[in-house]
Amino acid sequence: MSDTTLKLKRTGMPMPLVIVGSALLVLVCLFPFWWMGLSSIKTLRELYTIPPIWWPSLPTLDNYRTVLFESNIPRYFLNSVVISVGSTALALILAIFASYGFARFDFKGKPALQSFVLIGQLLPTAAIIVPLFITLRVLGLVNSYWGLILVYMIITLPLSVWMLTSYFRAIPVELEEAAIIDGASRIGVLFRITLPLSVPGLVSVLVYAFVTTWNEFIFALCFATDSSVKTLPIGLAEFSTEFNTDWGAVMAASMVMTLPIAILFLSMQRLFVGGMTAGATKG
Amino acid sequence: MGSVSIRDVRKSYGSMEILHGVSIDIADGEFVVLVGPSGCGKSTLLRMLAGLEEITGGEIAIDDKVVNALHPKERDIAMVFQSYALYPHMTVAQNMGFSLKLGRAPKEEIGRRVAKAADMLSLTPYLDRYPRQLSGGQRQRVAMGRAMVRDPKVFLFDEPLSNLDAKLRVQMRSEIKQNHQRLKTTTVYVTHDQIEAMTMADRIVVMHDGVVEQIGTPLELYDFPRNLFVAAFIGSPSMNILSGKLSGNSFITADSSAINLPFIPASTNDETVSLGIRPEHFALDPNGMAAEVITVEPTGSETQVAMLLGGHEVVAVFRERITTRPGECLTVKLDPERIHLFDGQSGLRLGQD
Ligand SMILES: Nc1ncnc2c1ncn2[C@@H]1O[C@H](COP(=O)(O)OP(=O)(O)O)[C@@H](O)[C@H]1O
Ligand SMILES: [Mg+2]
Repeated sequence: MSDTTLKLKRTGMPMPLVIVGSALLVLVCLFPFWWMGLSSIKTLRELYTIPPIWWPSLPTLDNYRTVLFESNIPRYFLNSVVISVGSTALALILAIFASYGFARFDFKGKPALQSFVLIGQLLPTAAIIVPLFITLRVLGLVNSYWGLILVYMIITLPLSVWMLTSYFRAIPVELEEAAIIDGASRIGVLFRITLPLSVPGLVSVLVYAFVTTWNEFIFALCFATDSSVKTLPIGLAEFSTEFNTDWGAVMAASMVMTLPIAILFLSMQRLFVGGMTAGATKG
Repeated sequence: MGSVSIRDVRKSYGSMEILHGVSIDIADGEFVVLVGPSGCGKSTLLRMLAGLEEITGGEIAIDDKVVNALHPKERDIAMVFQSYALYPHMTVAQNMGFSLKLGRAPKEEIGRRVAKAADMLSLTPYLDRYPRQLSGGQRQRVAMGRAMVRDPKVFLFDEPLSNLDAKLRVQMRSEIKQNHQRLKTTTVYVTHDQIEAMTMADRIVVMHDGVVEQIGTPLELYDFPRNLFVAAFIGSPSMNILSGKLSGNSFITADSSAINLPFIPASTNDETVSLGIRPEHFALDPNGMAAEVITVEPTGSETQVAMLLGGHEVVAVFRERITTRPGECLTVKLDPERIHLFDGQSGLRLGQD
């Protein structure tokens, strides 16, 4: 029975210790973000004060004004959104069909194909960057949205396929057989039974692919050469020049860059929770 | 209308043949139970009937139409799975109406047919619940409702009761039977439980290692098992089998005591034979054979006694209350009309003629 949560008797550490431990962990994890937020509203002088000040005497939004109105960041933001959404959507769609095939059908060479999918993931970035560049140049896709979208799809697809394959495998085959007997086609089964039951898996893949492409630096640096295609991580780097770095602006831009990820996680949090197939089978 | 004809059907996985030519004819409206030990190929046969497995050889016809190459949805069958296979993300009503929805039936008709099936199965209060909010028995009913809503030519059941506790199983058994009497839909029901087979079936198909051992009504199988396997499989406690030799019109047991036979079998190649006698066909008789009691198990309505008879351990069931202890001796008689004889080598039943 799935709806009766078993309450095990508590053993081990007392409650206060658990709370203190968790709080400490959260503090350590969140400190960099807090410092980032804090630094983004400090004036330049306060940024360099030693010892560091914990709360600026004169909080300022100047850094944000610089970032939003006097830099390329807004354009880069748009580029990042287009490229990340595009490659994530593409990777998700391809991963769904590839994984379903791997999970449900037996065909010649399946183990070999599955291994090949992973080999792409194992190659070091440095090793594939030149071949990719040459390929993109031949295709005329250097410095274009499509170029980066395809590259990002290539690097996120393997792991997405593996994640989804194991997720699909865990769904009882009888559910699909029942649907087939009820008159569903294969595609019908996929969209009406398998995918609705795989929401947590789909969300994991979506978040993984989006975050990976959103933060990616090296490929963007090599394949995007002007501001019509450059992404946010490149934009952050551009605040550093040979002679100095406008740390306040970097922090403000980092805040801007972090926001979509935070929103993505918070909105998807509920969907991560598993247990979608509870009650499907057995008594 | 839904007769089913299975003709010399074979199934192989790779080079391994699982079903070795199975032929069964099922009349319209009949309730047929496929029974046999686990792994004998019952589920495989049922899944071939449903269209979930390829048919390696032979033919399956539903209503005189060969369905070998047809997709499951074109066969007009409905199946209830052992694990129920309810769609967890749909309510009871949606589960039951799913096939109609796929078939593009109008909304009112779906609602009407779901309501009717729910009413028959006493599921009406649960229509808006999700499967995880139901008990095992209720889930089982939903699985049946999902099949009933479609009004198919044939119902297929694959061990639908084996996940329920004993009491619920008995109750669902009679519910399924009642529903069949009302709907009169041809039913093929798979189970490994011979009691389920005996109590539910119009006709039973006993399978073993991919072949059909015997087809018949429950009492035919009980009274005239065609071979040793069926004799031992049907009935509980199962039939006692003694091996020995024929001599004149007597059966000589391993320890050389003689049992009189009512008839002499017409043809035996070998004089070694097996004698079968069901536990309830022993009677206490002062002039009978001596048997040493091993255990006594009274159940109230009857008494089950394990005893040593003619060098074999046998089980007897007496309707009367007998007081005896392990180690004591009983004198018992075998009902001569109820003795079965089987060929020692082939295991086939030896006839009277
Ligand atoms: N996909 C398969 N591949 C190979 N062997 C199988 C497969 N499915 C079933 N079998 C074999 O077929 C035999 C019959 O299985 P099954 O029909 O499930 O038996 P039952 O339902 O009577 O217990 C078993 O020995 C099983 O191991
Ligand atoms: Mg089975």
